[in-house]
Amino acid sequence: MKINTIWAILLRHLYLFRRSIDKMVDAFYWITVDLLIWGVTSLYFQSLAPNAQQMTFMLISGVILWNVAYRGQVDISMSLLEELWNKNLINIFVSPLTFQEWMSSLMLLSIIKSIISFIFGSIVGYLLYKVGILNLYPHLLVFIGLLMMTGWWLGLFISGIILRFGTRVQALAWTLVWIVSPFSAIYYPLKVLPKWAQIVSKIVPTSYIFEESRNLLFNGQIEYSNLAISAGLNLIYLFAGYIFIKRSFKKVLEKGLVKVY
Amino acid sequence: MSVVSVKNLSKHFGEFKAVNDISFDLEEGEILGLLGPNGAGKTTTIQMLLGVLTSTCGDISYFGKSFSQYREEILEKVNFSSTYTNLPWSLSVYENLHYTSYLYNISDRKKRIESLIDHFRLNELVNHPTSELSAGQLTRMNIAKAFINYPRVLLLDEPTASLDPEVARFVRQFILSQREHYKVSIIFTSHNMTEVEEVCDRILFISNGVIIANDTPENLSRSVKECKIQLNIPNCDEAILFQYTQHNGMKTYATGNIYTITLEEQQIPELLSFLGQNTIKYIEINIEKPDLEDYFLKVAHQSNKRKEL
Repeated sequence: MKINTIWAILLRHLYLFRRSIDKMVDAFYWITVDLLIWGVTSLYFQSLAPNAQQMTFMLISGVILWNVAYRGQVDISMSLLEELWNKNLINIFVSPLTFQEWMSSLMLLSIIKSIISFIFGSIVGYLLYKVGILNLYPHLLVFIGLLMMTGWWLGLFISGIILRFGTRVQALAWTLVWIVSPFSAIYYPLKVLPKWAQIVSKIVPTSYIFEESRNLLFNGQIEYSNLAISAGLNLIYLFAGYIFIKRSFKKVLEKGLVKVY
Repeated sequence: MSVVSVKNLSKHFGEFKAVNDISFDLEEGEILGLLGPNGAGKTTTIQMLLGVLTSTCGDISYFGKSFSQYREEILEKVNFSSTYTNLPWSLSVYENLHYTSYLYNISDRKKRIESLIDHFRLNELVNHPTSELSAGQLTRMNIAKAFINYPRVLLLDEPTASLDPEVARFVRQFILSQREHYKVSIIFTSHNMTEVEEVCDRILFISNGVIIANDTPENLSRSVKECKIQLNIPNCDEAILFQYTQHNGMKTYATGNIYTITLEEQQIPELLSFLGQNTIKYIEINIEKPDLEDYFLKVAHQSNKRKEL
């Protein structure tokens, strides 16, 4: 792997981030809106049940943590879409850049943007609702790592589909991730889901993460086996996602990169 | 030694043979024109040469090394510009050249970018977003990008398509000067035949995915036997003239006093002698020799006929 080519793609997207209002809005606006809505909702619930003081923490930390997975996915899929919208995919692949380097740079980009967005969300959460998500440290780092992995494999699958079918399925880039969210039990315990949804949740790595974040919050303890299951599932999906996008790319090369738009 | 060698290259899309068993070489410092009607297989060939389209069969090698095995090493010395690709719209001219310089790991990137900006007269546009550039400015930026890595091989797909004549000439001169100073080898496509004649040392004419000619522009032009003579003949005895030309397989049509006769080059002395013998006096004569465009039209016409059959 060559550092210069990875940096080149990173730089291309960081320049875009600096110049594009859309990207700024995407990074800061939605998390702010989510924090406001869920924060106010939790304050209302707390007024009805004064004992449920940890509800605000649960909802606000849910918003901030889910944003990590969301960013991981969106930054990979949207980066591909950017190249398609700009008809730039050929320009980058007639250079010495390899597919692995391209993927690595998009993952690095998602890490950078997730960190920016996470820090921003944490500050807003603390300033508005006195929620200190850093209280979950050191487990917080594990949660973030696992959520980032979820974002990546989702991003790889969605990007693989976009590569095969072009921009006519581009809406998947910002919608498909939400299919996973109800089964992730971000804002509620798994047990409140219907039985069938609980079964589905067992194969969704994020469900274990949010369950354990609540376990840590309410009981001060953590089931490491659940985090291990989440990590195992994430690794399997990440591997499958990589194989899928790699095959999609190979398929695209058979009809020509110029034909993908 | 050839810098690019293509052997038995084919690309089939199902039953359709976009490129069918073509072989050719590109020598160091040579400018090779790829010509052919739309859909002939030129762009397909260029895409396979760049690795953005997989071939059905055949081999491509650069600098004596297999492209499939040494892709990254080879692409460090190759670049490309086309009218059908863009650089990112939201980025400025400088940002586009800057990130591209990292893709090719340029050591003197600042100096290189500045020199290209100067050469391609992009100085006043460096901080402008690409989306605000005119078609001509975009093309200049794309060509500047294509030269960023001091390429040894350059693939230019209609590089001057949207440029005004003055800038197009400037780009052609730049390409020729790069070839002269750095022995850059270039594969060049264009629909502007005058440009091709000016720039290319050799031409591969592709039709229906097959190379049907591989020669210099001059020889290809010469292969078109027919030329045109325009004569200004006041008070012409048309009956005699038309009878003679028809009898000798020449085509003639008249507009006022102007008679245009299509004939083979070797028939010209014969015709002029006939005019003298029959005291048909012309006051003006214009002989149009065949050029590359005539060759292109002739072959494209034959190709269309074959398709219809």
